[in-house]
Parts: sequence; C-alpha cells; structure tokens
Amino acid sequence: MHGRAVVVGVGESAYYKHGGSPDTEFQLACTAIRNAAEDAGLELRQLDGLISYMDNRNSPLRLADALGFEELRWSSTPWAGGGNNSSATMHLADAAVSGGHANYVVAFRALAQGQFQRLGSGAGLMAGTAPEGLSWGLPYGLMSPAQECALQTNRWMHDHGVSQEALASVSLACYANAQRNPRAVRYGRPLTREDYHASRWIVEPFHLFDCCMENDGAAALIITTPERAKDLPGKAVPIVATAQGKGPEIGLTTFQQRWFPGMYYENVGRILWERAGVKPADIDVLQMYENFTGPVVMALCEMGFCEPADVEAFVGDGRLEGPDAALPFNTSGGNIAEAYIHGLEMVVEAVRQVRGESTCQAKNVELSLAVGGPGYAPGSAVLFGPAI
Amino acid sequence: MSRYLGDDFILPGLTPNNTPFFTAGSIQIQFCDDCGHAQHPPDDLCYACQGRNLSFRTCPGTGRVESCARVHHPLHPALRERVPYVIAIVSVDGAPGVNVQGNVVHCDTSSVRIGQKVRAVYEEAVDPHSGTKLLIPQWEPAD
Ligand SMILES: [Zn+2]
Repeated sequence: MHGRAVVVGVGESAYYKHGGSPDTEFQLACTAIRNAAEDAGLELRQLDGLISYMDNRNSPLRLADALGFEELRWSSTPWAGGGNNSSATMHLADAAVSGGHANYVVAFRALAQGQFQRLGSGAGLMAGTAPEGLSWGLPYGLMSPAQECALQTNRWMHDHGVSQEALASVSLACYANAQRNPRAVRYGRPLTREDYHASRWIVEPFHLFDCCMENDGAAALIITTPERAKDLPGKAVPIVATAQGKGPEIGLTTFQQRWFPGMYYENVGRILWERAGVKPADIDVLQMYENFTGPVVMALCEMGFCEPADVEAFVGDGRLEGPDAALPFNTSGGNIAEAYIHGLEMVVEAVRQVRGESTCQAKNVELSLAVGGPGYAPGSAVLFGPAI
Repeated sequence: MSRYLGDDFILPGLTPNNTPFFTAGSIQIQFCDDCGHAQHPPDDLCYACQGRNLSFRTCPGTGRVESCARVHHPLHPALRERVPYVIAIVSVDGAPGVNVQGNVVHCDTSSVRIGQKVRAVYEEAVDPHSGTKLLIPQWEPAD
C-alpha cells in the first residue's frame, strides 16, 4: 500500500448530449469543482491545486482566479495522449498532497463538444497536407482512435480466436448498468444484443455501440491528506495505489511489431499490483475506460484479469452486468452509456462505490479500481480502498 | 496510379524525415549504420544504440498484412464517396520489426486478410508547397 492521500469530494455538472450544454466549457468546469467542494465541506478559497489532462482549455490561472482560490500551490497535467491519463490525475494528486506541496487538490475534466470539436469529428484534419507525425496515417484515411484501435483489435481477435460476442458483452454491460443511473445520457435507452448487431459499422469490428459517446459535461474530485480529512464531514476514500507509464519501444505512431497488437497495460497492471500488494481477483468493482469495447477486453487480459482464451466467458452471459455481477463493471454506464467526460466520470464512480453511493452499488466494496483509456500510452490506473 | 481515396485527399506534408518514404518510388526505411537497427517512423537518433549515423535503405517492396480494417464511417467530407475503404498495417520485408500504415488497393475491400502477402505500388501526386513529385506507397495483393 503506497497511497497516502484520500478523496474527500466528488462533483459533476449535468451530463448532456454532444453540443447540448447551455453552459460553456469553462462554466461546466466551475460547476463541477463547486459541487465537489460542497460535497467535501470545503470553501472554494481553501482549494490550492489543479490537475487536468489532454487538450484542457481551462487554464489553472483562470480557474483559480474565477473560483477565488487564496493560493495556487500545485498545477500539473500528465503528458501525452488523452483518456489514458484519466486515472493519472489521482497519481499526480497523490504526489501533490503526500509530498506536502498543496492541501486540497482538484482533479477535473470539462468537455463542451459543441463549443470545441474533438477527434470523432475529424476536425482540424481538413488542411491539404498532414504534419510529419500524422503523415504516416492521414493520407491513407487512417485518422481516428476508432480506426487505430480497430486495427489492434482485429489482429488480437484473429490471434486468439475471440468473437464479436465478447465486444457485444462489454457494450451490453455498460448499457444495462446505465439503466439504473438517472445521470446517464443513455438512461431509459436499453440495448439488446440484437440492437447491437444491427447497428451500423463505424470501422470493423466496431459497431456504433462499441464506441464511447461524445458529450458535454464536467467532473471533479478533491484530494487531501487523511489528517485534513478528519476535519471534514464526509467519508474519505483512500488512494491505495496508482500506476502510470509505458513499457519499452511501443511504436508511438505506427504500431511497430514488438507490441502489436497491444494496449500498453501490462506494465500499468504489474506496477499497480506490486504497489497495492493485491491481485486482480481481489478487486471488488472495476471501472475500465471504454474508448471502444475491443481495447477493454484486451486490457482486461493484459492487466491479468483473465487469459485471452477465457475472455469471452469472463465478459459473457451477464457476468459484468448489475450490482451482483461476477465482477461489477462500469457500474454507472461508463463512457459508452453514462457520459464521456473523458473517463474522469468513471474515477468519480469508483469513489462512489467505496462510499456506497452508486446507483448500481456492489456489495462489500473494499477495493475499487479505475483504469484509464487503453491503447494509448502512458496508461494509468488508481485503486481506492475502504472508506475512513 | 491515381489515389485510392481521391486525388484531392490529404497529402503528407514533406519533412526531411518523411521525404524519402513519400517521394522515392520504393520502400525507404531508416537504418542505423552503427548497429543495423531498422526503425519507423524515422527519427533523429537510433532507438537501439542512440547513434546518429542513420540512413535510408531501399527494401524489396514486398510485405505482409499484419492487420486490416474496413472503414465505414467517413471522417472527412472527401471520404463520403469512398467508404468502405480498407486501412492496413503492413510488415515490410527487409526491415525487421518495422510495420507501416497504408491501404490495400486493387482488390475488393472484403477480400483483404491478415497474413496476406502484398507488394508496393505508388500513387502519384504533387506537393502543393514545393512542387515536388510524390510517390505515395500503397499495397496490392501479391498472391
Ligand atoms: Zn543503432
């Protein structure tokens, strides 16, 4: 057990369909942070750290001023990729408060996709020539994470004889769990296996329902030390261990042979289990970032939850669905069916599970794991332990 | 040959690192002259020995489909008329460990298979900035 920090507050804006938010992205970020502070029993002026990731447009200086922080003592963002860093926010927050650099650190992510376009739209790719980093794929129409992950998944399914049903099972679990969650964008929209197979292809082997949504909204968590948490009214949720990083020579842009196909989560799993002193079978509830279903089944194997030969059985027959699942999984509906707040909403859900406040509450939760987006490095994961 | 995704589709912007690959009319892969390591994409340093004596070598122009995927959702207006199209990862004969990206052309999109042998063919285009003639590698079935 290595973590020394605790989560004392979580907050969200309302979640909207893509382009559906009446608020700007900055307003959404401020709403989520205010709600998290209220949940923690803190005044906004007491907050003194800010962490986000990827193309965060909400400058920590602007936020700290607008929200009335007395000081900003920690601001940081993990390098590279996108949703792969959703759990790395906890890695940095743990370091910030455990090292005594700041007292109350906020991890947040805000997306207003009507205001700012993102990857799924192909925005920014309209120019006549591709910059060097994109030149290897873009002229071939290889231009989205869905396509990159499809190439990885197709080869992996081919090598291990995994069928489309494994992918379907992941999507169906997310949809089933979202039907219990009124916050979910797909609440009231149940999905059947027939609907899944009948939905249009985006890029084979991904149907529409294999892909995360694109949404507007914001989520935030507040992290402090266990000592400070004693003066706050609510439950504190300990960060038991975090892991972030990549293995050697992954082939950043061109799927080089050493790790192809791969999701780059072997090392994240190994580091996490070592630091926590636990194994996959000890996990009571799992939130695993679904950019697409294929990467989820691959990352489950890479982190040691099961072997590729067993993955269809591991995810099939409803074994991931509902509070009494063999492994309760993406209990809020995840990126596929709750909302795509770049995976940070799944870290919030992992905290809720420890507090006993999920709409799909697993029983006797002592170890609650949130894994960042597979397929892009550096990967990340955070394990939460029993509330104090 | 004309371009698989249309002659107006996005072109590679030329840089010193990618000009050999996109203009030579052969498969050009970067090798380290000190240790023999092949690497792609090219970079300023050898990833195996950190040497700086790097050069491009001509590979035979054959390879194998390591993975492929049919794209149905067009992410660019110019692709609406082109879907479904096939993207592929191809291992390059003569360059150990190296995979490149491309399309598999001159065949039905549903016929492309993992493990299929392919050979390079080249799409002609002109770099709009420099006027340089581009010969963009593509792959067609070889068996
Ligand atoms: Zn070398």
